Amino acid sequence: MKNATVLQSGLQKRDRTPAITKIALALVFLLGIAVIAMGYRGMQEYGASGFSSEGGYRAIYALSGDVADAWSKKLEPQMAALNDVQRAALDQTAHDLLIDAWEGQKSGAGAEAEALLNAAQEGAERRGLLWRLLYTTYLVNGPKVSTANKREITGVSAADEAAFRQGLLAALVDETAAVPGAAQSAVGDAQGAERQAMLAQTLFVSNGSTDSRITEQVNVLKKGVRDKGAQLAAFRMTARGEVSWLWQLVVANSRTAILVGIILALDALLLTFLMMGDRTWIVDFKWIIILLIVDFLLLFQLMPLVYMIIKAFFPEGSFSLETFKRLYTYSLNLDALKNTLIAAFSTMILGTLLAFPLAWLVGRTNLYGKKFFRALFVLTYMVPPYVGAMAWLRLLNPNVGSINQWLRVLFGLSDAPGPLNVYTLPGMIWVLTSFYYPYAFITISRAMEKMDPSLEEASRISGASPLKTVFTVTLPMMMPSLISGALLVFVSAASCYGIPSIIGSPGRVHTVTTRIVEYVSLGQQGLNDATGMAVFLMVMAVIILFISDVVLAKRQYITVSGKSVRPAIVDLRKWRVPLTVIVGIFAVIVIFIPFATIFSTSFKIDVGKSMFQAENFTLSNWKTVFGRTETVNSLKNSLIFAAVAATVGIVVACTMSYLLQRTRIRGRKIPDFLITLGSGTPSVVIALGLIMTMKGNFGINIYNTAYIMIIAYMIKYLMMGMRTVVSAMSQIHVSLEECSQVSGASWTRTMFKITGPLIFPSIAAGWFLIFIPSFYELSMTTLLYSSTTKTIGFQLYEYWTFTSQPMSCAMAFGILLIVVFLNFVLNRLTKGEFSI
Amino acid sequence: MATVTIKHVTKAFGDNVVLKEFNETFQEGEFITLLGPSGCGKTTMLRIIAGFEKPTSGELYIDDQLVSGGKTFVPPEKRSIGMVFQSYAVWPHMNVFDNVAYPLTIKKVPKAEIRQSVDRVLAIVHLSQYAQRFPNQLSGGQQQRVALARALVAAPKLLLLDEPLSNLDAKLRESMRFEIKEIQRELGITVVYVTHDQTEAMAMSDRIFLINRGVVQQSGTPQQIYNEPANQFVMDFLGKVDFFKGVAENGRITFPEMGNQSIAYDGPRKGPVEVAVRPENLYFCENGVLQGKLEAQYYLGDVDDCRVRVGDTLVRVIANGHEFQDLTNGQPVSLGIRDFRVFEDNGLLEQMLQIQT
Repeated sequence: MKNATVLQSGLQKRDRTPAITKIALALVFLLGIAVIAMGYRGMQEYGASGFSSEGGYRAIYALSGDVADAWSKKLEPQMAALNDVQRAALDQTAHDLLIDAWEGQKSGAGAEAEALLNAAQEGAERRGLLWRLLYTTYLVNGPKVSTANKREITGVSAADEAAFRQGLLAALVDETAAVPGAAQSAVGDAQGAERQAMLAQTLFVSNGSTDSRITEQVNVLKKGVRDKGAQLAAFRMTARGEVSWLWQLVVANSRTAILVGIILALDALLLTFLMMGDRTWIVDFKWIIILLIVDFLLLFQLMPLVYMIIKAFFPEGSFSLETFKRLYTYSLNLDALKNTLIAAFSTMILGTLLAFPLAWLVGRTNLYGKKFFRALFVLTYMVPPYVGAMAWLRLLNPNVGSINQWLRVLFGLSDAPGPLNVYTLPGMIWVLTSFYYPYAFITISRAMEKMDPSLEEASRISGASPLKTVFTVTLPMMMPSLISGALLVFVSAASCYGIPSIIGSPGRVHTVTTRIVEYVSLGQQGLNDATGMAVFLMVMAVIILFISDVVLAKRQYITVSGKSVRPAIVDLRKWRVPLTVIVGIFAVIVIFIPFATIFSTSFKIDVGKSMFQAENFTLSNWKTVFGRTETVNSLKNSLIFAAVAATVGIVVACTMSYLLQRTRIRGRKIPDFLITLGSGTPSVVIALGLIMTMKGNFGINIYNTAYIMIIAYMIKYLMMGMRTVVSAMSQIHVSLEECSQVSGASWTRTMFKITGPLIFPSIAAGWFLIFIPSFYELSMTTLLYSSTTKTIGFQLYEYWTFTSQPMSCAMAFGILLIVVFLNFVLNRLTKGEFSI
Repeated sequence: MATVTIKHVTKAFGDNVVLKEFNETFQEGEFITLLGPSGCGKTTMLRIIAGFEKPTSGELYIDDQLVSGGKTFVPPEKRSIGMVFQSYAVWPHMNVFDNVAYPLTIKKVPKAEIRQSVDRVLAIVHLSQYAQRFPNQLSGGQQQRVALARALVAAPKLLLLDEPLSNLDAKLRESMRFEIKEIQRELGITVVYVTHDQTEAMAMSDRIFLINRGVVQQSGTPQQIYNEPANQFVMDFLGKVDFFKGVAENGRITFPEMGNQSIAYDGPRKGPVEVAVRPENLYFCENGVLQGKLEAQYYLGDVDDCRVRVGDTLVRVIANGHEFQDLTNGQPVSLGIRDFRVFEDNGLLEQMLQIQT
C-alpha cells in the first residue's frame, strides 16, 4: 500500500514537473524580452536627452565647455603674445610630454611637469595652466596614483568633490540655470576622461597632429564619455523625480540591459531545445553550467567574430563588398595577402619535410641521443616565436649579422652587405619554419608512437625492405596526422604576428597580421579596414580547422592496439653515425645558435661586435631591465594575467571534461565546439573582435583593462588545457568513481579523493599549457594593452623596436629562463609524468 | 615444407634473460605450438624465427640455411615466412584485396597472377565476397582471416602465428581453430603457433613446447605432455591439479597433513614426495582410500565441484553431476583415487610453479 502511494505521488510529481518547467522557461524568456524592451526604451530616453553617442560627447563638451572657455579666454591673450616659433615650441613640448606620459615613462615626465608647474608660479600663467592640465592628464593616466594624491595635486578635497557633484546635478536638472563655479570644476574633476579627451583634441588633433597614438587615445577617451553620458542622462531623470532607481539603472545601462535580455531569452530557448529531447523536463544542474560556459563564449568569442563578419560585409548597414574592394586594390594589402599565403605555404611544406624524418629518426630508429633530441625539438614549442625572430635577425642581418660576418670571412667576400638577408620573404619563411616545425613534429611523433608496430612488421615479413615499408605502410598510415600537422603549421604561420612584425616590418615584407595591427592603430576607419583583413584570416582558419577536425579525424587510422605498444626500432646500421651527426648539426643551427645569440647579445654594448671584444661586455642591460619599474610591473602583469587566465581556464576545462567524459547530457558538445573554434581563431582576429565589441557599444566596457586581455588569453588557450584534462579523464574508468560512490562517498568526496588525485598531473599540465603561452603572449597583447596593462612580451617588443636590442635580449633570455623553470616545476609537480 | 633448426638460442634484453638455450628442430609440415604463460619467452622465440629479434647467442637455420647467428643475419623480408600477428596488423589504408596482394606486389608478380593467387587464398579463408571492403568494415574474425590470407598468399615455407585467436570471442575462436588446422593440413605447411591457451595447443598441435621462464619444460605430443608430465609445472599448467606432501615407504604414501592417512604406492620413489592429483581423478565411493568430511559443493551442470576436508587438508573433488547428488555438507565421505603422479619433494614447488610476469 505504502509503496503504491509513493509510486503514485512520484507519478503525479512527474506529471506536474513538465508544466512547471515549461512555465518557468517561458517566464525567463519573457523576462529576457522585457529587459530587452526596457533597454531599448532606455536607449531612446537617453537619446532624447541628447546623450546618444556623439551627442553625448557634445553635451558633455558643452557642459564642460564653460571650463574650457575660461581656460582658452585666459590663454588667448597670452597665446597672442607668443610668436609662432614660441607657440610651436610650446606645442611640441606639450606633445612630447603627453606621449611620454602615455608611453609610461613617468618618472622623468612627472618631475619635468612638476618643475614646469613650479615655474608657472612665476607668472607664466598660460604655461602654468597648460602644464597643470598635462600633469593631471598624466596623473589620471599614469599607474599607481591614488585618488587622494590626485585630489591633493588638483587641490580638491573630498568635501569639495561632493559639493561639486551636487552643483553639477543641480545644473543638469535646470539647463537654464547658470552653472556654478564649483560645478564647472566638478565637470572637469568628476569627468576626468572627457576632459582629457577634450584637451588632447583641442591641443593636437585640431592642430592637425597625425600621431596615431594620440588619435587612438582621444578615441578611447570619447568612449569613456559615451558611458558617462548615459549615466548623466539617468541622473537628470532621477533629479527631476521622473523615474524610479530601477529605471535609472536601466537608462544608465541600457546597452547592458539589452545584452542581458538577449542572453536570458537565448538561454531560455537553448534550454527548451535541450530539454525537448528529454521528456522528463527536469532542470538539470549541469545544463546551467553548460549555459554559463556557453554564455561566456557567446559573448566574448562568437559575438565579436559575428560582428566582425557583419561589419566587413555590411559596412554601411547594407551588403557591400566595398571594404574588400578598397582593401585589396591597395597594392600594399594585396602584397601582404600574397606574402602571408606564400610564407604560410612554404613554412608548411618545409616544416613538414623537416618534421617527418626527424619524428621517424627520433621515434623509430636507434639514432644516438634520440631522447635528448626529442626533448630539444619539443622545447622549441615553448619558446615565444618573437625570440626566435630576434635571434635570427641578429644572425642574418645583412650588415652586422654574425652568420653573414662569418660567411664573408670564410669565403673572402668584400664588406658589402650579405650574402644572406633576413629582411626578405625567404628570410621570414626560414624563421617561421624554424619555429613552427615542432608543431608538425609533435603531431607526427605522437601518431608514430601510437602506431601498432606489427603493422610495419607485417610489411617486413611480407617481403618489403625497411625503406619500402616506410613508403608503403608508415607514411600512408601517418598521412592524416601528417596533413593535420601540416595544416596546423600553415594556420600558425599565417596567423603569426611576432615574427613578421620583427623581421617583416623593417624589410617592408608586410603580412596580413602586421597590416591588421597597423590598421588598428589608425583609429575608427582603420578598425573597419582591419576587420576586412581579419575576416580573410578567420575564414581561412575556420576552413582549415574544419578540414583537420572533421574530415581528417574520420580518417584517423591510428588505434591503440591491445598489446602494449613497443615501437619496432629500425637499426640504422652504417647510417647511424652520419644521421646522428646530421640531426645534431640541425639542432645546433636551429636551436643552439639562436639561443646563444640571444644570450650573448644581452651582454653587448655594440650589437655589431663580439661579446669578447674589448669594452663590449656589460652587465648593464640585465641591471637596467630588472631594475626598471616598468619592466618589473609588466612582468608582474604577465604573471598575474596568465595565472588568472590559467586558473579560470582550468576550472572551465575540468568542468567541460567532466561533462564530456562522464555525462551524456544533451548540449555538452556546444561549449566543446566553441572552445575548439576559439583556439583555432588567429590571435589577432580574437583581439580585434574584442576591441570592436567590448568598448561599451554592446553594453560591456572592458577596453583597456586587464579583463579584456585575460579573456583573450582564455579564448585562445583554453582548449590546450581542456584536451589535456579530457584525455586524462577518458583513461580513468568510470567504475573507479562508481566504486567510491558504492563505498559510501558522496559525489564531491569522490571527485576530491578519487578522480581529482588521479588526474591531478593532467590538471597541473593543463594549467601550465594555458599559463605559459599567456605569459609571453604578444599578438593579442599588442592590440589590447593599455599603459597600465603592458605585459612582458609587449614590453620586450617595445624595447626591441624603440629602446635597445641588447636589453630586450636580456628580457628574452629572462623569459626563456622562466619558461624552463616552470617546465621544471611542472615536471616535479607531476612526478615526471609531464613536461611540455 | 621447411625445417627450422634452433641451436642453443639464448636471448637477453640487458640483464633479463628471456630465453635460455633453446635447442630443437621443427620438422617439415609439423604443427608446432609454443605454449606458456605470458612473458615466458614464447613470443620472443617466434620473433627470432621471424627475424624481428636477433638471438644473443646461438644459431637459427631455416631449411639448413643459417639465417641468424654469428655475423649472419637475414632480415625478415628475405626469409619467405608468412606471419599472423596478434593484433592482425591488417593495414587500414588498403582494402582486403590490396592487403592480401601486398606480398606478391612486393615480389613484382604479374598482375593477372596476383589476381589469381589472391582469389585463391580469399576462397580458402571464405572472404571472396569481401575483397573490396576496407578493414574498418570487417569484424574481428574477418580481419583475422585477412591476416591469415596475407600470410599464406605467397606460399611461404613456414607460417608463424602469434596468438592469432586471443582477440576473438569464444565461439569464433573455436571455429577458427579448426579452420587453421584444416588449412595447414591442406597446404602441408610448417606452422609455428604461439599461444597461452592450453586447450588451443592441445587441439591443434603435432608437438607442443611448454615454456616457462625462458626454459622449455617439456616437449612432445599433446597426449605425452598431458599424460606424462615431466614436472609439476607441466602438470599444473595443463589442467587442474592439487599437490599434497607425503612420505613414501613400504609400498604406501602417508600424508602427514591428512591425519596420517595413506594410499597404496608401488612406484620407485622413497622418502618425501609430492603427490599430484587431478580433482577429476578423485571420486566418492563406499570404501575409499581417504576418509573426510564434505565441506562444500558447487553445482556446475555437468559436474559437481566439491571440497572435502581430509585431516587438515582441503581436497578438491570434481564428481560427475549425477553421482552423489544426495550428499549434504558436513556429512562424512570416502574418496577413491583413479590416478595420481608422484614427484620427488625437492622443496622447489613454489618456485617451479611461479610464472614470470
